[in-house]
Amino acid sequence: MIRNIIFVLCFSLVSAQWSSRSANLIDSGRKEIGLFSPIYIGLKNGSELSINKFILMPNIAIKQSRSAFGEWQMAQKFQLEYPTPGMKWFQSPFGMETGDPNMFALISKQFTIPQMVSIYGELIGTRGTENKGRVTISGGIALSLGEKISEDATIDLPIIYPRLSAYYNGVAIKVGGEYFRQTAEHWSYLIDYDMFLMPGGIGRYAFENKGAIIWSKSSKFRIMAGYKLIAGEYPFGSQAHLLPVFDIQFGW
Amino acid sequence: MKNLTIKIIFTFISLFLVSCEPIATEFDEVEDAVMYSSSTIKSFESKKSIKVMTWNIRFGVARLRFFGDGCGDKVIMTKSEVITGLKGLAAKIMVEDPDILLLQEVDVQSKKTAYIDQAQWLLDNTDMNYGAYASMWQAQAILADGLGRVNTGNLILSKWKLENAERIQLPLRGDQDGLTKYFYLRRNVLKALVDMPDKKFYAVNTHLTAFATDDTKQKHITGFKDVLDNIIAEGKNFIAGGDLNELPPNALKTDYCLEDQCSNESYHSGGELEHKEGAYFTPEITWLQPFYNSYTPAISLSEYGNNESDHFTHSPDNNLQLDRKLDYLWTNTSWISGKTHQEATALSDHIPVTAIWEMK
Repeated sequence: MIRNIIFVLCFSLVSAQWSSRSANLIDSGRKEIGLFSPIYIGLKNGSELSINKFILMPNIAIKQSRSAFGEWQMAQKFQLEYPTPGMKWFQSPFGMETGDPNMFALISKQFTIPQMVSIYGELIGTRGTENKGRVTISGGIALSLGEKISEDATIDLPIIYPRLSAYYNGVAIKVGGEYFRQTAEHWSYLIDYDMFLMPGGIGRYAFENKGAIIWSKSSKFRIMAGYKLIAGEYPFGSQAHLLPVFDIQFGW
Repeated sequence: MKNLTIKIIFTFISLFLVSCEPIATEFDEVEDAVMYSSSTIKSFESKKSIKVMTWNIRFGVARLRFFGDGCGDKVIMTKSEVITGLKGLAAKIMVEDPDILLLQEVDVQSKKTAYIDQAQWLLDNTDMNYGAYASMWQAQAILADGLGRVNTGNLILSKWKLENAERIQLPLRGDQDGLTKYFYLRRNVLKALVDMPDKKFYAVNTHLTAFATDDTKQKHITGFKDVLDNIIAEGKNFIAGGDLNELPPNALKTDYCLEDQCSNESYHSGGELEHKEGAYFTPEITWLQPFYNSYTPAISLSEYGNNESDHFTHSPDNNLQLDRKLDYLWTNTSWISGKTHQEATALSDHIPVTAIWEMK
């Protein structure tokens, strides 16, 4: 019995400190950065800040605890994003004029990118423990303020299309869930699911499922690898993609 | 617990390994064409003389100032612009009423042309019944200029059923780096057996390289001719054509660098940019001679030589003054007549060539 308690405590020490999409927050003062994930900062007032590293698309989010609902731990998340500089950069990453080989441009320069801001609000519920299995469900809505971009200028690629849809349609809805479980001292896995609804868009929905295994050396370093399965509707029709997922994260 | 961990790791590694989907589509040397049929099938009897048309339709955008093939700056066309262009093409096709139609630069759900499946649209808006399509450029996304998803290629439309339709790969350009080549066009020859009642024959369609600066175009011409030679070896007859991006051997003018020059360009001033890609034909002027030696053209060399400007089929961009011949029809038997349709100059940057083919 004592051995089991120590085992569970060890698990908690290794993984509970890492940020996640659950209602749990990272400890006050803790900071995390990942290769493909935002910067997370645990704040003293019982909330968690996340900041997008892609400075041309500034994005800041705050997650705060709410009072529990039965066995469900609850949290809320608010996010503010200013995509205009990033989307302008997508038009000409290397500064070439249209008509020349404008390498890696995802949006034609014939389109004007207006000033836009989006706000996103999400409610998160989590129950269970990491060693026995932790379930999280969440739902939120994004609203874009300001002028919309022409629907001829969409970036019709998986992951990007649903995440930018609010700037073309004005609104996007996201609901999802995650199952996380720690299976050994250093190993855990997660399976998550997200559904994007894009009312008014030419592509109206996207489903995303991610599975990943995580190796946590300590609370300071972990590696994640897995897949992301995306099935969605785009302006040209429906398509599915299976993409690799990889991240290296550091915490202190 | 250890077994469970190993199983989970194995599952994720397996999924990871199979998860890389290519962005640009590569093709086998020979593969089946994509088949189409009209939403309404019309009935057509067998004929003794068959009207054939070839037309590079510039993905239905008429003379709009597209950035990729002239001096324009527009990349993405609106749906209404493309539908207007397609309606113009369909109206001309209905007037000419060809039995076999060889089309080049047909877009199938490309972002630049509002994701319209032009092969299906043309079938549903003309009297043609069946289609065979071979893509020359297919990618989930072209990561340049905001082009996005691309699928453009050659299309054979027929009043009769098409069988054994094959996409035959031509060599890739030899003058490009690996990354550019991966995302670039993959030219092909499209061959299909036309199942006309009582008489079958081959229809062959191609669109050869325009901008290669090495011997790729010569390889394409040879590859196209090899396909036709093989049909003859089979004992079958063919009608063939397309946009060969090459001048007739007796063309008087062979250098269009200055005519095609955009405002920010300068040619004939020495150095690497002496000649514009796709505008300087002087070193390759004899490359089509083997076709004239072996097959019958819809417009003979003497007819072309006597009335050269009457048989020009192309002018770039929004220039309505046709100035060169790039589009051809060929057969291993004989044509009754051939016509260059210069009245259609505003409908694309190429104009159609038609000819009446006498069945043997």
